[in-house]
Amino acid sequence: MNRKKTALSVAAAGTATGVVGLVLIASPAGANEPPPALPGISAEALVESVLSKDHIPALSGAVEFQQNIGLPIPGLPASSAEGDAIAHVYANGDGAGRISIDQGQSERTVVHNNGTTWVWNSANRSVTKYANTDSDTEDKGTPEQLADPAGTAREVVGLMQRDSTLTVDGTARVAGRPVYQLVLTPKPTERTLLREIRVSVDSETRLPLRLDVLANGQADPAVRVGFTEFKPGPQDPALFTFTPPAGAKVTDGKDAKTHGFDEKNVESLLGGLDFKTVGEGWDTVLTGKFPAQLLSQGLPTGNGRGGETPGALIKQFAKEVTGPFGTGYAISTHVGTALITTDGRIAVGAVPQQVLVDALGQK
Amino acid sequence: MTAESEPGTVAVGAATVPPAARTRGLRKVYRGTVAVDHVDLEVPAGAVMGMLGPNGSGKTTTIRMLLGLVTPTSGEVELLGHKMPDGAAHALPGVGALVEGPGFSPFLSGRDNLLRVAAAEPLLTSAEIPNAVGEALERVGLAHAAGRRFRAYSLGMKQRLGLASALLVPRRFVVLDEPTNGLDPAGTREVRSVIADLHAAGTTVLVSSHLLSEVEATCTHVAVLNQGLVVAQGELSALLEAGTANLLVTTPEVTLAVDALREDRVAARPVPEGVLVDLTATTAPDVVASLVRAGVPVHEVRRQRTGLEDLFARLTEDTAVADLADLETLLPEDAR
Amino acid sequence: MTAMTVGAEVGAPVRRAPLLRLFRSELRMILRRPRNIIGIGLLGLVPVVAGIGISIAASGSSSSDGDSVDGLAALVDGNGMLLPIFALVLALNMLLPLTGAMLAADALAGESAHGTLRGLLLAPVGRGRLLAVKAMGVATVVLLSIVLMAVTGLVTGLLLLGGDGMLSSSGTQLPFVDGLGRIGLTIVLLTVQIWALAAVALAVSAYTEHPLIVIVCSLGLLIVSGVLSAIPALDWLDPVLIISSWESIGEVVRDPLDWAPLGEGVLRAVCYMVIGISIAYGRMLSRDG
Repeated sequence: MNRKKTALSVAAAGTATGVVGLVLIASPAGANEPPPALPGISAEALVESVLSKDHIPALSGAVEFQQNIGLPIPGLPASSAEGDAIAHVYANGDGAGRISIDQGQSERTVVHNNGTTWVWNSANRSVTKYANTDSDTEDKGTPEQLADPAGTAREVVGLMQRDSTLTVDGTARVAGRPVYQLVLTPKPTERTLLREIRVSVDSETRLPLRLDVLANGQADPAVRVGFTEFKPGPQDPALFTFTPPAGAKVTDGKDAKTHGFDEKNVESLLGGLDFKTVGEGWDTVLTGKFPAQLLSQGLPTGNGRGGETPGALIKQFAKEVTGPFGTGYAISTHVGTALITTDGRIAVGAVPQQVLVDALGQK
Repeated sequence: MTAESEPGTVAVGAATVPPAARTRGLRKVYRGTVAVDHVDLEVPAGAVMGMLGPNGSGKTTTIRMLLGLVTPTSGEVELLGHKMPDGAAHALPGVGALVEGPGFSPFLSGRDNLLRVAAAEPLLTSAEIPNAVGEALERVGLAHAAGRRFRAYSLGMKQRLGLASALLVPRRFVVLDEPTNGLDPAGTREVRSVIADLHAAGTTVLVSSHLLSEVEATCTHVAVLNQGLVVAQGELSALLEAGTANLLVTTPEVTLAVDALREDRVAARPVPEGVLVDLTATTAPDVVASLVRAGVPVHEVRRQRTGLEDLFARLTEDTAVADLADLETLLPEDAR
Repeated sequence: MTAMTVGAEVGAPVRRAPLLRLFRSELRMILRRPRNIIGIGLLGLVPVVAGIGISIAASGSSSSDGDSVDGLAALVDGNGMLLPIFALVLALNMLLPLTGAMLAADALAGESAHGTLRGLLLAPVGRGRLLAVKAMGVATVVLLSIVLMAVTGLVTGLLLLGGDGMLSSSGTQLPFVDGLGRIGLTIVLLTVQIWALAAVALAVSAYTEHPLIVIVCSLGLLIVSGVLSAIPALDWLDPVLIISSWESIGEVVRDPLDWAPLGEGVLRAVCYMVIGISIAYGRMLSRDG
């Protein structure tokens, strides 16, 4: 028996085992499995079956959010590493739900039950209570909504049906579940930066499990919201009740001063912008006006630590442009462009810059 | 020779006792440097073998291979009848060793250090440990300093503690690498008496030392290493006998004397003190007769007492070629 | 001849020092080392200091927003059961890995430098058993340090910050027993992670005589992992990096618990342990003593 050889083979075998283990951990389950065989379905039938689901069944899951649009977006949760959940969602199938959002060092929990919504923020240990409101409309546009891919995907599918080609592009697995891949491709006449929107629909519950937005010239999705874990089934009822912990500040959602982000203010601000849409479909452009001095005025930002003027903020990632509209700043990302002129006009859309310029010119 | 090479025959009752340790064709190469080569060492059972050699001659490497600490590049090692290093678990309990200086934790007391060694000692039951440690400390004269940290020990005390750990239990074979290193004369005497006691109790001892007088005083056998080779090995008395086979002739007529002796086919060479004559093939009276016949004036004729030191110096001198020739004539048949 | 020799070796019973005795002796040595005593003592003080700091910061500005302390720390005020978890997660950044690396460095490289490893090999303690004893010693003392931190943290937290049960970061109030469970879970998860690092350190330790090299390599591994995980282009590497598991340990304060990342972290740690121990074992068998 040669001790050196034994030693070498033990070391090699052990190291190989460990490395294989690490690789197995690294590779998502089912990555190498062939796509599941599912009965064929037409795009229309699939969309219909999705739209017919008017409520979310009982489930628990973990949600990931990834973005690679080429810009840091203030207020959005930071892009998570592949497969890392940023939120956990629970639904009891009866309208009650719970979402826990991981914000790095702190956590936000939203519990909705019987018309009451509790929002817990561990960073300042505050509880906000929204009584007798429909949380779906209340939460519109907040990060919490991103964690509800079912709702998001449903809206997008419904909206885009007219100007898009809708196909079922085979099957795949999302969160270990067999899904149909519903693909919305803009019609060739659409002047958009987007290549396609891909919705993965669970074959069993017909819930959209993942939404991928793919931009032109990019292999990886620019935006991905989806489940990394998904388990339908009854949930512990205790999840859907919320008792404010001792010592927490509880405020009524009606006096909205509690959130770091002043929602009332933002709403009034948005109202003042006088938004209009120009065009329709994928190349819809949103134009609006705003008081030009806003560029140099402080605005409360998402985490309540305002101070930088929006103008200075914009200059960080916008490039100065001139055109028939005068001068302004263009912010371009993989999925959309925004144009802000110095005389207080704004245009935003999932389109190249020229479309925005045209839209401003239509005024 | 046949009986000796088969350890199995001993159990059957053959008269020959197997050697405590034996190496055959031992070779160790460290990163391209040959540390030892062709080492055929044999430590007879019951012997006290002194291992001599200048620094870097391969003494410690040989000992480490003997004890299974180092795997030889090639060659075989047998320790107490077990092949090393694979038979370490069988052979080593019977072996006490102090190699490359005493290795102890500086932050533990002498007693705690020995307790730790004792905990690893297969031949001691847990109940026997405190006594064995106490006795070992007593034996090397460290009982008074047992509670002191090893860090605070003098070099001599450290060496004694190393000796104590080697002698924690009765051994069949004790290997001591430079045991008197750092000891004062009294300590040296103690080590000598420890070796004598071990010898008297029938324990085989292998001592490496640069203090030749130590080896001469305590050893029954000697092995001399130089540049990784065993250049001489055998019973001390035989080697010393070989070393005395010289005659120093003091004469003003050196050339005449050398010529005269060479004419009579007697090996002789000029040295600063006169003429050195090799007595292997002749006797002192014959040499004197030859010189007188040739009319060489002789002031003094002295049989040279080389002692081990001279032997060692001759064997390990770096002016190799001439001395190797000397060596051929110097060594007795059985030691070559 | 060879056959006879081999036969003799197989037949004769081998006497060995009992493993438990070796282990006790190893523990006694680690815990008698002044540097280790001081180090473990300081670790035990970390939660106490953190608790005092949080209670001062909180009382100084309780009238204002409560934003004076960030993240997990904000949640610890008045929520004493969270203090041990907070302190342990804090110590995971540097102190605990350092402790694990130091112990592993002492275990083989340090012993080799003192010449005591040779003594153990000559006793003889088989090389495999020696590694087992060393690994068990390191593992036990790591566990001990973490438990000590948890205990001082819990006592400090309950005395200084108070609180009824444990307030999770999800805003739910966990009863005292559940809180203890969360602390226990944190201990287990952290211990496993530090074991993984210590196993890798032990492998390095088997290759050198210089304890400092082991510490530098281990902390270097962490720093390099941190840098790699911060580079977005190398995101695909993340699941393999040892520190990826460490970031998810904060999950223990959530309610309900998400076991998936925690379990994955443990599996990853086990992989690192297998790699570290097998390399160390291979080296122990082949190294020259």
